[in-house]
Amino acid sequence: MTHRYDGSSIDIEKQLVRYMVEHKLTRRMLLERIAKVGAVTALAPIIAACTGGGATASPSAASAPPPPTGSAAPPSEAAAPTPVPEPEDELFVYNWTDYIGEEVVPSFEEKYGVKVTYDFFANTDEAYAKLGDDGGGYDVSFPISVDIPDFIERGAIVALDKTLIPNIANLGAEWADPGYDPGNAYSVPYMWWTTGVGYDTSRITDAPTSSTALWDERWSGHISMLDDWQEVFALTLIQLGYSANTESTAELDEALALLEQQKPLVRTYTTDTITAMSSGDHWIGHIWGADLYQISQENENIAYYVPEEGGVKGSDTATIFSGAQHPIAAHLFINHLLDAQVSASNTNYIGYMGPNAAAKEFIDPAILDDPAVNPDQAIVDKLQELLDLDQAVRDEYLNRWQTLRGG
Amino acid sequence: MTAVSEAPARTQTRRVSLAERFGGLRQWILLAPGLGWLVAFFVVPLVLIFVVSLGHRDELDRVVLSNPSLDNYARAIDPRFIPTLLNSLRYAALTTILSLLIGYPLAYWISRYGGRHKGLLLILVMLPFWTSYLIRTYAWMIMLRDNGVVNSVLQAVGLTSEPIILLNTDFSVVLGMTYGFLPFAILPLYVSIDRLDPALVGAARDLYASGRQAFLHVTLPLTMPGIIAAAILTFIPAIGDFVTPDLLGGASTTTIAKVVQELFLEGRDWPYGSALGFFLMLITLVGTFIALRTLRREVVGA
Repeated sequence: MTHRYDGSSIDIEKQLVRYMVEHKLTRRMLLERIAKVGAVTALAPIIAACTGGGATASPSAASAPPPPTGSAAPPSEAAAPTPVPEPEDELFVYNWTDYIGEEVVPSFEEKYGVKVTYDFFANTDEAYAKLGDDGGGYDVSFPISVDIPDFIERGAIVALDKTLIPNIANLGAEWADPGYDPGNAYSVPYMWWTTGVGYDTSRITDAPTSSTALWDERWSGHISMLDDWQEVFALTLIQLGYSANTESTAELDEALALLEQQKPLVRTYTTDTITAMSSGDHWIGHIWGADLYQISQENENIAYYVPEEGGVKGSDTATIFSGAQHPIAAHLFINHLLDAQVSASNTNYIGYMGPNAAAKEFIDPAILDDPAVNPDQAIVDKLQELLDLDQAVRDEYLNRWQTLRGG
Repeated sequence: MTAVSEAPARTQTRRVSLAERFGGLRQWILLAPGLGWLVAFFVVPLVLIFVVSLGHRDELDRVVLSNPSLDNYARAIDPRFIPTLLNSLRYAALTTILSLLIGYPLAYWISRYGGRHKGLLLILVMLPFWTSYLIRTYAWMIMLRDNGVVNSVLQAVGLTSEPIILLNTDFSVVLGMTYGFLPFAILPLYVSIDRLDPALVGAARDLYASGRQAFLHVTLPLTMPGIIAAAILTFIPAIGDFVTPDLLGGASTTTIAKVVQELFLEGRDWPYGSALGFFLMLITLVGTFIALRTLRREVVGA
């Protein structure tokens, strides 16, 4: 549907150009190497990097002038080549506020002698506007997985050179081939979460299990919903038994009718659920599961569940942008994030589960035992991933969202 | 200008225009910073928004300017936006009226009874600006919530037994906006009241006008420029505000500025958002123009 990226359709030439850019190789250098060590040896890593039919490439592909591609322009002949992966002196990272373990950046700086400039954003709107099509000066940033196909299509992020990311082996098996980015070609999962319902056990004592509790008139004036059209429609569509990413306008109309019925009971639509749920104003709310950890620091009475009808899961990913001036340092940084102990220290600090199987032994048992952060397999099986919707479909959602919010 | 010295005035005008021809450079130098600012940060962005509003987006949501059309304006005139537009107008109007009702007596008092403390009192009016608007709005959130200061006091006094929902309502939005924009109203009101010659009010009283009549027929008309300036300075930021409704508002307080923001960032539809934004700007500009025309008539009338 919206899955525009197709690995097998990438031809050898695009791969070649991308490989040369990543390794700061010029075409002339490559030809020199072919002359010195022979075509098979020189092109072996490139062929290995290619997917599908790439292996049938002939050396003549290397000498043919590569066509310009959207994602990577061939480097000029004058570019100083650095064949050895020596990291650059600097690295520009752009991540969510409070979204990295305290020691992660300092330990990277110390290990590689790279000075990291680490900036924060509070929402994706702000971040994506700033990142633009080339990263806006940042080397590494963390888009939500749902947006990855769009970033790839715009040529905003580059394919990762896995030889610089050996720690990718630490990823759990379920993350080897995610739907938004097959084979993790352009992104590496960073943290994942579920969306569900949080409630104040001092106000609501009958332990709800369904998302219909958000429609309960007893909690009128104390219900909060996420200020996020896709999440709100997903919750409602799943409650109705439909796909969270439906393209059926009839199903969307049904969801809108249900939401309009709910609106008079709703106090706020907000993404700041930490403030909302800890203030005492909201007794039950549609929240991102992993926010619970921070909410419970403020209000220990908040319980969380993924609705029995099913819920939404999502993940943030680490990516390298096409305008990155420090690609090697960027790859090494992503590799660093995938280190078992570093990943565990992120989870222990943030309270989100990472996709890192090797990290589990270093994670605080309290977090591993928390079903809100690390849910049972039975719940995991019912989770749906939000997809990047086509423009026309997105407009259908947004029109209905504006009708709901305005009326 | 009086009719007494009409002939000399005309020759003077000619001399000025000659001087303009040769000494115009100095005037342009004086004008340049302000004009440059206005062009760079108002005219150019406005033109850009207008140009983008004529375009459409490709399948990657990028703005495409080929085949410009007014389609986005047709889309912007949608009954879906009427409740939000009315919300914005209502909040801005209420904020303006409340700011004038609170600001006028305060400015009057500072001007007439402030004595040698006038400067200090005006600094106190501007004191809130020393703290970020966002922080002050968060402070309101803490005060207004169900177990906040206001509800605690109401319950302690016995006025209510259960907390009243104050936050996330029309009330909290208008309160927050009035609080935020009140200084913008007080300053021009103060200037116009302070400039008013008290002897004029004295003369009215000498002519047997009551205090109320003197105020209604002398003070109020003569300070009308300040009132209109204050109204403009509160209404315009209030109608474009989305921070206050977003933080202090609730499920039913969506404003048109929020919709514009959503079209840009959530809808990734810049041309559509630009059209709606330009439309909003046009309403504001026309409103300001009408207000300024009235203002000039008032000044000329005075």
